[in-house]
Amino acid sequence: MSGPSFHYIEATRLDDALAQGARHGATYVAGGTDFLQLWKTGLAAPKTVIDICRLPLAEISYAGDTLSLGALSRLSDVAAHPDVKIHHPLIADAILASASGQLRNMATLGGNLLQRTRCPYFRSAGLACNKRAPGSGCGARDGENRHAALFGTSSGCVATHASDLAVALAALDAEIVVASAAGERRLRLPDLYLLPAPTTAPDSSLADGDVITAISIHDACRFAPRSTYLKIRDRASFEFAVVSVAAALQIEDGVITAARLAAGGVAPLPWRLHGSEAALVGRAPGKAAFAAAGDLAIEGATPLAKNAFKIPLLRSAVIRALQTIGGVS
Amino acid sequence: MNAHSHARYEALLKVTGQARFEGEIAPAGLLHATLIEAPIACGELVSVDAVEAPTRPGFATLVTHDDSASLKSSAATTLIRETAIHFHGQPVALVAASTLAEAHDAARAVRIATAARPAVTQMDQALGAAIAPEMVGRFPAATRRGDVATALGEAELVIRNRYSTQVNNHHPMEPHVVVCWWEGPKAVVHTSTQAIFATRATIAQAFDMPPRNIRVLARFLGGGFGCKGQLWWPWMFWAMLASRKTGRPVRLELSRAQMFTLVGRRQQTEQDLALGFANGRLTAITHDVVAQTSAHTDYSDSTAVYSRLLYACPNVSTTHRLVRTNEPQPVPMRAPGTAPGTFALESAMDEAAERLGLDPLDLRVKNFADHDQETGRPWSSNSLLSCYRVGAERFGWADRQKRKKRDGRWTIGFGMATTLYPAIRQACRARVRLNGDASLVVQCGTQDMGSGTYTALGQIAADALGIPMAKVTVELGDTWLPDGPFSGGSQVTASIFPAVQSATAQLRAMLASMAASDANGPLGGKTSDDLDFEGELIRSRSSNAAERLSDVLARTAPDGLVAEGESAATDHPKLAATGMGHGAVFVEIGVDSALGEIRVRRVCAAFAAGRILNPLLARSQYVGGLIGGIGMALHEQTLTDRATGCILGKSFADYLIPVHADMPEFDIAMIEEDDPHLPGSVKGIGMLGSAGIQAAIASAVHDAIGKRIRHLPIRIEDCLGPACDTAQR
Repeated sequence: MSGPSFHYIEATRLDDALAQGARHGATYVAGGTDFLQLWKTGLAAPKTVIDICRLPLAEISYAGDTLSLGALSRLSDVAAHPDVKIHHPLIADAILASASGQLRNMATLGGNLLQRTRCPYFRSAGLACNKRAPGSGCGARDGENRHAALFGTSSGCVATHASDLAVALAALDAEIVVASAAGERRLRLPDLYLLPAPTTAPDSSLADGDVITAISIHDACRFAPRSTYLKIRDRASFEFAVVSVAAALQIEDGVITAARLAAGGVAPLPWRLHGSEAALVGRAPGKAAFAAAGDLAIEGATPLAKNAFKIPLLRSAVIRALQTIGGVS
Repeated sequence: MNAHSHARYEALLKVTGQARFEGEIAPAGLLHATLIEAPIACGELVSVDAVEAPTRPGFATLVTHDDSASLKSSAATTLIRETAIHFHGQPVALVAASTLAEAHDAARAVRIATAARPAVTQMDQALGAAIAPEMVGRFPAATRRGDVATALGEAELVIRNRYSTQVNNHHPMEPHVVVCWWEGPKAVVHTSTQAIFATRATIAQAFDMPPRNIRVLARFLGGGFGCKGQLWWPWMFWAMLASRKTGRPVRLELSRAQMFTLVGRRQQTEQDLALGFANGRLTAITHDVVAQTSAHTDYSDSTAVYSRLLYACPNVSTTHRLVRTNEPQPVPMRAPGTAPGTFALESAMDEAAERLGLDPLDLRVKNFADHDQETGRPWSSNSLLSCYRVGAERFGWADRQKRKKRDGRWTIGFGMATTLYPAIRQACRARVRLNGDASLVVQCGTQDMGSGTYTALGQIAADALGIPMAKVTVELGDTWLPDGPFSGGSQVTASIFPAVQSATAQLRAMLASMAASDANGPLGGKTSDDLDFEGELIRSRSSNAAERLSDVLARTAPDGLVAEGESAATDHPKLAATGMGHGAVFVEIGVDSALGEIRVRRVCAAFAAGRILNPLLARSQYVGGLIGGIGMALHEQTLTDRATGCILGKSFADYLIPVHADMPEFDIAMIEEDDPHLPGSVKGIGMLGSAGIQAAIASAVHDAIGKRIRHLPIRIEDCLGPACDTAQR
């Protein structure tokens, strides 16, 4: 299949790209791994496609305990980079749990964060979906919703965000650097995403023409010895998460001094588990603390007809991840 | 006949890209076509507004039901002659243009008006309206022998459960494609089909033209699994009509999404099964199947048929019913009937063994059927007991409970089950030509789906004449060749074998007589039963005398020799014995019950399917079948949106099939059988791997975590047990 024709522009300078991208009907493409699927099935029909993959935004640097990842870095390059592998293994783990080797060679960090939901109602033109066609309703809420979210849903959208990387970045308090014609701004990663409203469900807070230029992670190498990305899926590889957990702990003198937990596959955005984190800090790692974190992780979860199993699964996944990095079961 | 693991005849062609698949044929002036689909599941096509489309760049033609009026009415033309809409995504028009992008663009400009009626989008909405077909394939749909009710009443143990299986789609790597054109009154049709002669016959009927004016070619296929048959024909006809309207060649290829809706599926089943036992022996079986079919055509797998004959049992009752839904049409899919049917029967046998305190393997041996109890006939050959024994030994079944039950996060479980599939033949012909230089050409109008038919054809002929494979050319996939069998039902090798054998036997007789009749030649005066064919020589068994084949030919038949052979179809009513292939499959799985994850760790399967021509290719068929079975057991499920009837997740990102990381080591044992009833002792093997393993996996899950899962696929939510903090670690 091919989608409607579009005007193709290869951007060589960021300011050109920003000016072109702000025009009506324009969209950016980098690795294209998600965009091509959307375009081929008619779900994306831009007038203009601005190819930004040659912009010089693929640098990776690590200085003063700040890891800076150029947004156009390929996933495979990031996962293989020593500063990521050694000092931020959680990011490498999450990337290597994503997609396939071929896709990771093409896909970029920025594109990964902005991939659209896998909800089959979003992906099937003609079905009710407020995210694709505002006001059309949500077919998943009373339909096939095994994949659907437990948290942060609205009456009009129960879709999840599919990125593994975003879950790891959320756990590490990453910041997103966004460029626009008006200048540069920084966002906390969760603020990149929006929760759905009753009849609309835009994915991100970015305005037309905005480009993610970099991702910045500060003061995270302290978690390198104890971090893990646990991804549960329906087959062994090349599949989106049913539930995933990014977990990182800092343990000093037998006491948890810092804890980071975020969950994937359960919400419209990477779902930070602040309550669970708070329950861990100041306690000794072990069964009681982990169980408390698991219990708090599922507080407020709202199941639909076919996804209730994700609630005990999430609790179990949080506990398993903590067991894996906590040094005790 | 000697078994020989020749590499695939076409291997080099395929890995070097020289094999030309029919969709790659690109005649000058080729137009590209696309289908426009109905957005409703049930109703009527009201109008096709094509005012704007012809103004689009590259537009060539639009084909609709109006154009189909020129076709003869038949099962293959109903969907394109009638405007009724039976399922979501049913094509309502075809657009052809200079490029595929232009065809898509023009198609977007066509306005379709439909009138929707209430749709039945899932089986459970119309269970009360289920109908009882008379036949399931070549078997009666309902059978009864003995007195089931009394036997169940008197049984010491009754296992009674409902088993359900979901819709699966075939998904060969190569989608359906046609490149076709007209040469005056003649049609040339390059298409990816499992049946070139049936395709030709259907075109002849629909277009009311003599078959000799139609050439259908399918020389290479990227898989089929049962879907490259009749459901493709209406859309192929539309491509042919587009070519006739424009006078240009037309190419139509289905999208991956259309492979979910237009070319068939494995039907959903709900199966009520009861087994009665006395003294560990089956005394009663009831197997009642309800399955989905489409609103426009009834189709039923032979799901309960195998419960009539796999085990010895005096009292058996089976039924099949169908629920018509506004969903796509089911067709046979690899291991039709046996895959869903053995899932129920073999799962129940495992449960019975547990309740009886018997080893599941021993229970099967104890209930072995020493003849076909449904027809009363003997088996043509049956080595199922050997499969059980050999498979169990290689797997280490007897010692399984001594093995460790835990490996890190995984709880280990073991399971086993039986598989079977009928051995049948189609009538066909084959031609063998021996050239003057003693090179060989084998011709048969069958297809190679990727399963090894090229190699098998060449090997049978080469072996009979003592000629190396390097000197053999095989031609298939063209209706200009002798009528070959369709590629389905695990029948091709068994069907072509007698035809090729007959042709080569004629050539051997001619050559022997030519060699012996030359009094001055090295074999002068020898009798034909003294002569053997080996190493490009005709050789005397009783002396050292031999002569090169090429010398015999140069002297007596410099232009070479040709012979044709025929195979007869299995004559079911007159059969003296029932032909059946068997297998026993043993699996080891791991379940992480805290996270619900399940992985197959080890598969060992022993198969008995007559004589194996090529162990290398046979292994590939068995392993491929087993992987398909793992997919049905753990991954594959086609979902329909209840509200709209739209199939959801029509892509490989959403419809999961096993990836390499899901595949364990496969240990395959092949038990050779001499079968006095089957030519060459050849039975089909393609279906065997894809049945049985589903029940073996379900039984292994029970062995690991104590849960009986009676539906497929088995997924995370089925295996999710207590959380990590309560489960033992």
